[in-house]
Amino acid sequence: MGTSTTAKSAVPSTAGSAGLTFGGVLKSEWIKFRSLLSTKLLVLCAFVAVIGVGTLAAWLRGTVIQQLMSGAADRGPAQGAGGAKLTEAMAEQSLPPAFEIYGVPNAGLQIGILILGSLAVLFISSEFATGMIRSTMTAVPRRLPAFAAKAIVLVVVAYALTLVAAFVTFLISIPILHAYGVSMSLQRDGVVQGIFMGGLYVAGVALIGLSLGALLRNSAGGIMVLVALFFVLPFATSLLGLVPGEFWMHVNEYVPSVAGGRMLEIGHRDAFIDPGDGGLIFLAWILVFLIPAVVTLKKRDL
Amino acid sequence: MIEATNLAKHYGEKPAVAGVTFTVRPGQVTGFLGPNGAGKSTTMRMIVGLDRPSAGSVIVNGRPYAEHHDPLHQVGALLDAKAVHTSRSAYNHLLAMAATHNIPDHRVNEVIEMTGLAEVAKKKAGGFSLGMGQRLGIAAALLGDPQTLILDEPVNGLDPEGVLWVRNLVRYLAGQGKTIFLSSHLMSEMAQTADHLIVIGRGRIIADAPIKDIIAGNQQARTRVRTQQVSELAALLAGNGVSVNSGENETLEVSGLDARQIARIALDNRVLIYELTPLNASLEEAYFDLTKDEVEYHSHPLDSGPGSGSGPGNFAAAVPAPGGFPPAGTNAGPMTGSGFDRAEGK
Repeated sequence: MGTSTTAKSAVPSTAGSAGLTFGGVLKSEWIKFRSLLSTKLLVLCAFVAVIGVGTLAAWLRGTVIQQLMSGAADRGPAQGAGGAKLTEAMAEQSLPPAFEIYGVPNAGLQIGILILGSLAVLFISSEFATGMIRSTMTAVPRRLPAFAAKAIVLVVVAYALTLVAAFVTFLISIPILHAYGVSMSLQRDGVVQGIFMGGLYVAGVALIGLSLGALLRNSAGGIMVLVALFFVLPFATSLLGLVPGEFWMHVNEYVPSVAGGRMLEIGHRDAFIDPGDGGLIFLAWILVFLIPAVVTLKKRDL
Repeated sequence: MIEATNLAKHYGEKPAVAGVTFTVRPGQVTGFLGPNGAGKSTTMRMIVGLDRPSAGSVIVNGRPYAEHHDPLHQVGALLDAKAVHTSRSAYNHLLAMAATHNIPDHRVNEVIEMTGLAEVAKKKAGGFSLGMGQRLGIAAALLGDPQTLILDEPVNGLDPEGVLWVRNLVRYLAGQGKTIFLSSHLMSEMAQTADHLIVIGRGRIIADAPIKDIIAGNQQARTRVRTQQVSELAALLAGNGVSVNSGENETLEVSGLDARQIARIALDNRVLIYELTPLNASLEEAYFDLTKDEVEYHSHPLDSGPGSGSGPGNFAAAVPAPGGFPPAGTNAGPMTGSGFDRAEGK
């Protein structure tokens, strides 16, 4: 073995290799992704948490609807034979938008974006912290293919995980909601769209996380900005709504989490951005972080 | 082949590398010497595109590093043994590096065997000793079986077997026609390894010449003489072109006369001498001589100064990097008789 070892390395070096390819870089990033215990744990956490919170949300909605229905039943049993069915629909109508039944599969996404977004920050910031980035960029000296490969790995993982978690949550929510007299099915308006769009939203957050990691080159800083962006900003801007004036009312709709979250919903709401617009605004937010990240990564010394 | 042309790097006002031009040729080991902060690492980082030159350019094997379609086959670089994710195993690190170039997995196992990492390959790289980290860095540099090898302080932290292995490896690869560019603060190691030297100080090239020229350069051969009749012999030897220094007790250092001449004079005058040692000019002395004005970070001599008195006045700076001796017991990797030695035997 030892004899052939270096004898082999003395032959022209390209032997046995096709050189640098994007497929190779993608494979490399996937190996990096799956070869860290912390990554695997975070993915597992995200999966469990999204389903857990979603299940909780299904139960919560069920109890609220049941209360509303029983309240209605106490007040007017005169509704007639079809009363129960009618009341369920009515009760749902009276729910605030955030409590839509079709949103159950995505109810856990807030925790999902927190974990997967942080994972995305770490995916690149930990390379800066450990010095790994210099190995990475020596192998891929044009740099951007490595960044693109990281982005693809994260987008695929985030999308797939969210999709599966949403579907599992949906399945779990059927018996729970059924117990409260609510029928949950894929035929329900918004369920299918919600499940598919949820993945896009989380993938988008992952891209923002990756960009923050590349821009700040620091794990704690990147995660802090991400949390500020997705958890503090929506809260802060909703307070702005208290400031007199039409303008301040609407600021909240344009922050990434609100605009992105709107993407998962269906239907028009008065004085609020439509889902499609929400998606575009969210896309713009992604680019706001992605473009400087790419430029910085290309230009700055490592 | 590495060709740098007016290569410069500024950090703000301060030039780290102030426009250097040099060529590192294939088929020989080129040593890169200079005090701390002289710009060695920055220069090496610019070669592989980690740092962007402020001015000038550097090409490897004919074109800028980033423009090669197979960078890891062109250049293997060990710039920093810490360029590894601490939580990933050595094996997975190498596997990920290899994947970018579609280098087959068996090559990963080969470099692991070669560098003596087999027993720790599945362990987290973060737990490695300095020496093991260094071996991992060398393994990564060798992955693509590169035409050009750039090694920044490769023997730092290696055990004596590792040091020997690196020396043999680079000599062997240079013999295969590859380009080897190597920095080290260990002068004796460099003297045994390099064919050619580039010496840099404060971002400028001070010397670029074959190592034997640099050592011979501004040195005069000296001879150490020990006798009990120091002053008597000194007086006898003194003459034109001869300089005599008395160092320690009963010791003279003589230049301008060779050992035979000194012995003859002593015999003729019945002076008993009990040691007569030709002192070969060392790379260390040549280096101190070259860099004495270029040292940026002076360390202060201990009260009595360097014991042997062999160095020029400012012993100063550029003391070999710490870690030249491996921490006891931590680097006992099975490195001897690894792939290289056996292959050379073929």
